[in-house]
Amino acid sequence: MSAESAEARIPIQLSMDDPEPMYRQIESQLRDFILAGQLPPGTKLPSVRALAKDLACSVITTRRAYQDLEGEGLIRTRQGMGTVVAQIAEESMSRHRREPVEKAFEDAVRAGRRAGFSEGELREVFEETLEKNESNLEGGT
Amino acid sequence: MEHPVISLKDIRKSYGSFDLGPVNLEVEPGYIVAVVGPNGSGKSTLFRMLMNLARPDEGSLSLFDSAYPGEEVEIKQKVGYVPERSVGHDEMSAKALGEFVAHWYPTWSQKTYDDLLSRSEIEPDKKFGKLSKGMQRRLAFALAAATGSELLLLDEPTDGVDPFARLEMLEDISAFMQSGDKTVVFATHVMEEVRRIADYVAFLVDGEFLGLYEKDTLMEQWRTFWTDGEPDTNLPGVVEVEGGSPSRVVSDSPEETEDALAKEGIRVVRSGILDLEEILSHLMRRRKNAKEKSVR
Repeated sequence: MSAESAEARIPIQLSMDDPEPMYRQIESQLRDFILAGQLPPGTKLPSVRALAKDLACSVITTRRAYQDLEGEGLIRTRQGMGTVVAQIAEESMSRHRREPVEKAFEDAVRAGRRAGFSEGELREVFEETLEKNESNLEGGT
Repeated sequence: MEHPVISLKDIRKSYGSFDLGPVNLEVEPGYIVAVVGPNGSGKSTLFRMLMNLARPDEGSLSLFDSAYPGEEVEIKQKVGYVPERSVGHDEMSAKALGEFVAHWYPTWSQKTYDDLLSRSEIEPDKKFGKLSKGMQRRLAFALAAATGSELLLLDEPTDGVDPFARLEMLEDISAFMQSGDKTVVFATHVMEEVRRIADYVAFLVDGEFLGLYEKDTLMEQWRTFWTDGEPDTNLPGVVEVEGGSPSRVVSDSPEETEDALAKEGIRVVRSGILDLEEILSHLMRRRKNAKEKSVR
C-alpha cells in the first residue's frame, strides 16, 4: 500500500551463497551507504518489518542489524519516530573508510589461496595490479 | 521476556489412528510464524484447537494468558481466523459478511475491510458462493484482518489463490504486521511463502511436531559444500555426502565442517545454502533415525 512513502528505499541485496550471516550483510551495506553519504543524517529508514519484507528475511535479522548499527552510533531509534541516520563524527568516517579496503584485500588473498597461489605469487599479482592501475591512471590524465 | 500470545504445553489429540503431538509451542507478539508440513500432517487440527473448535485430549493451551472455555469471549475478540474452509458463507455478500463480523468485534475497521476488498477486486454485493476459490480466500482474509485483532490465525490462506494475488496477500500480511506488536500464525505448504515472510517456522509432519525454528538461523545453519575430494561422513557437522567430482557435502554446522575439511586437505570449490524443502527433509530423516534408535 502506498500510504507510507516517506521512508528511504534502500537497495540492499542479500546473497544467500555468501557465508556471511544475513544481518551482517545488511549491516555492512547500510554502513557503506551511510558513510558514503548516500543516506545523509536524518534520513528515515524503513521499519524492521518493512525491511524484512523487502529482503525476504525475518525481523529478527533486521532488528539485529539495526541494533548493531545503533551501537556503532550510525543510526538511532526514537520511540514512535522510527529509525533515522545519525550525525557521524569525522574520525569514525575515516576509520570506516579503511575497513572495506582491508576487507577487499582479505577477500582477494582468500581467492588466491583457493586457486592455490603461494605467498610469493600473491605478492607478484598485487604488485602487478598496482603497477597496471598506476599506469592506467597516468595514461588517463 | 514478553508474555507469549500463544502457549501450548504437551498438547495431544487423536482422531482414529491419527495422533497429533506432543506439541510444545510458544509464540511471542510481533512475529510471523509459518506452520509447515505436508497435507494431512495435523495443521488444521492445530488451528482448530487454537480456536476451541476441537479440544486437546491432553496438555494445556492458552492465548493471551487466557484459557478456554472460561475466557473464550476475551480470547476470540483478539483473534481473526481464516478457517481451512469457510462454512455457511455461500449465500452472503461481502458487504453482509462484513456487517456480520463487525458486530462481534469492537475493534473492527471498515476502512481496512473496504481497502482489502477493492484491492482484491471483490464486488461488495456479489455472493460468497459466486466468487472463485481464490477470491473466497482473499475475502476470508479481509474479514479476519479487518477485525483489528492482535492475532491472525490463517489456515492455508493462499490455497487456490493465483500466484500474483498470492504475492499481494503476503504484502497484506506484512502490512497487518507494520505496527510491530501484532502476530500472525499461518499454515502453508508453499515454501516460497515461508521464505518470503516468515520469522519463525514450525514443522509438523504426520502429527509430529518437529519444533519451532528461527527461519534465518535455520537457513544459515545448513550449508552445502562442493569439494574436490570425497570427505568422510564422520567429519564434524557432516550430514550427508554425495560422492563425485566435485562431491556434494551437506553440513548442519558449516564452520566446523569447513575447518575439518581444511585439516583433511580437502578443498571447497563452492558453497551455498540449502532450500527449506531440503532442510525439512533432513530434519524429518533425523527424527526418523532417532526414533529407530530408541526402539532398538
